[in-house]
Amino acid sequence: MSATAPRLTPDSPPPSAPADGRDVTRPVPFLRAVKAVFDLSLEGMVWSRRSLLMVALLFGPALLAVAVRIALTRLPPRVGAFDLYGLMIAFVYVRNALPLAALFYGTALISDEVEGKTITYLLTRPSQRVSVLAGKFASYLVTTLAMALPAVVITFFVLNTIRGWSGIGALVPELFRDMGVIILTLVVYGAFFTLMGVLLRRPVIPGLLFLFVWELLANAPGYLPRFTITAYLRSLIHHHPPDEGLAEIFAQVLPTALCLEAVGGMIVVFLAGAAWIFSTREYVLDQ
Amino acid sequence: MTRSRLVVLGATVVVAAGAMAALGALYLDPARAAVGPLPPQALSLPAGTRYVMGLDIKRFVASPLYAKYAAARTANRPQAFEELEQKTGLNPERDLDQVYVAGTQAGVPGRNGDALVVVTGRFDRAKVARAIETERKGVTSKNVSGTVVYLFNENAAGKGSGATAFLDDNTLVMGTQASVEQTVTARAKGEAPLRNNAPLLALLEGVKPGSTFWMVGDQTLLSNMPKAIPGPGGPGTSQSIELPALKSLTVTGDLDPQVSLDITGEAADEPAAKNLADVVRGFVALASLQANQKPELKQLASAISVTTEASRVHVAARVPYEVLDSLQPKRAATAAPPNAQ
Repeated sequence: MSATAPRLTPDSPPPSAPADGRDVTRPVPFLRAVKAVFDLSLEGMVWSRRSLLMVALLFGPALLAVAVRIALTRLPPRVGAFDLYGLMIAFVYVRNALPLAALFYGTALISDEVEGKTITYLLTRPSQRVSVLAGKFASYLVTTLAMALPAVVITFFVLNTIRGWSGIGALVPELFRDMGVIILTLVVYGAFFTLMGVLLRRPVIPGLLFLFVWELLANAPGYLPRFTITAYLRSLIHHHPPDEGLAEIFAQVLPTALCLEAVGGMIVVFLAGAAWIFSTREYVLDQ
Repeated sequence: MTRSRLVVLGATVVVAAGAMAALGALYLDPARAAVGPLPPQALSLPAGTRYVMGLDIKRFVASPLYAKYAAARTANRPQAFEELEQKTGLNPERDLDQVYVAGTQAGVPGRNGDALVVVTGRFDRAKVARAIETERKGVTSKNVSGTVVYLFNENAAGKGSGATAFLDDNTLVMGTQASVEQTVTARAKGEAPLRNNAPLLALLEGVKPGSTFWMVGDQTLLSNMPKAIPGPGGPGTSQSIELPALKSLTVTGDLDPQVSLDITGEAADEPAAKNLADVVRGFVALASLQANQKPELKQLASAISVTTEASRVHVAARVPYEVLDSLQPKRAATAAPPNAQ
């Protein structure tokens, strides 16, 4: 029953004036509000069951790399260390693990607060709604980057130093390129799933369908890959492991400039859309 | 400091340490090349160079391919190397690091021999020089910009059929007299003529770092390639597939732990690149169709990937040695043992 459901509209007044005499008629400055929300969200985001799952997902390749390194001393190698690293970056991280992390964190940024009925505490503060979203998105980025980047760095060094440190200098530009693409992957998918999170009531299933059905268009011929996110991201990395099926027949690499423009454009559009919807939406909480 | 900030700080420290280590490896790498895979001394090559190839001897000798095929097959190889070592003090497996081959006229009939070979390694200069002077007849020498250039079969006009010289203690250059003298002069003056060849430098920059072997070149390198290949009807039929012309070609490869080959061809435009990629994919598909009769072809086909990026075609192949072994023709049955019935 939700007979007495409180309505939180964008212009809801603060519930009461504080006793310490602060001026609550004027909103808190944007950056201060972002930082406050960021601090609050980071604590809850880093120490959560979801983060445990994501640590397992993102550090899995690093553990696999350690296992490969140990096993390689006894087993005849079938795949080169750098090829295996490339496979992990292209297939495990950019195609699967990072989008999944973005899905589970991004869709939950606002919907967790709505389901937990704690959004009241955020929206009744004298701050702009956009600052709430910005602070939460920043905490999502810091949390996921704190998990993904160390895992990638460890995987790189564990695998590529199997035969010693000679020649690793030549591979360093690839590491920095991969780190850049990983940051872009988390930002663009995070922005997309944040938009889905504020747009849809149950965004996880549509998000999974998007990742594992729609994104397969990246392997289709012609211009169809340009309607996906992953086609741009995988074109930005230099690792192109041999594919099978459609990907083997139609695989194409998009120009770098186009990829950067498209990813930048998507980040702006998704974040602006999410901010606009969150700023104007009326949240009705069940009692 | 809160627990979450500690976690973020820890992650930052790991990433920063990794980045520092990576940058240190990048800038302190003793094998750091001047341009792409080329060492500084190779920049003395003539500016008109149209193609360059390289072979990392150390990696090649350490590869399973060398151990499996070259070392095992030729029983008299150690003897040949022993003789070379006695005469020159040079053991190629031990003393050579890199071999570079460069040229300008790959596609011009009758002028394919203008290649210049640059070998880097550790040489006993006195022994090598004595071997050059004494082992062959008709060897003369001249001083070019303070460097001794050995000429082979020098005629009355002072022109030799070939020449060789030490650029420095670790670099030997061989080739035609004109190109060797040009390289020696540039090296003596401290010039780097190859830096003026911007298209070739751009190709060299694209070579995959640390490759065992590599090759870059413009269209002259490919001018001897066939312009068309027989169609499905086979040779002699009217059907044939036109191959789009390539503007440049970059090949890099590794031999350990499997044979890895990356080929990048620059076509005239995007449709030409797609056309060429389709041709390659067609051959891969044909190999897949043969898999019923030869299962090893299925593995070979799945080891090859073809992608296009604007006007460029990338072909990547990762072939395990087991697949290469399975593609070898079966050896004839060995003679029956003497006690066989």
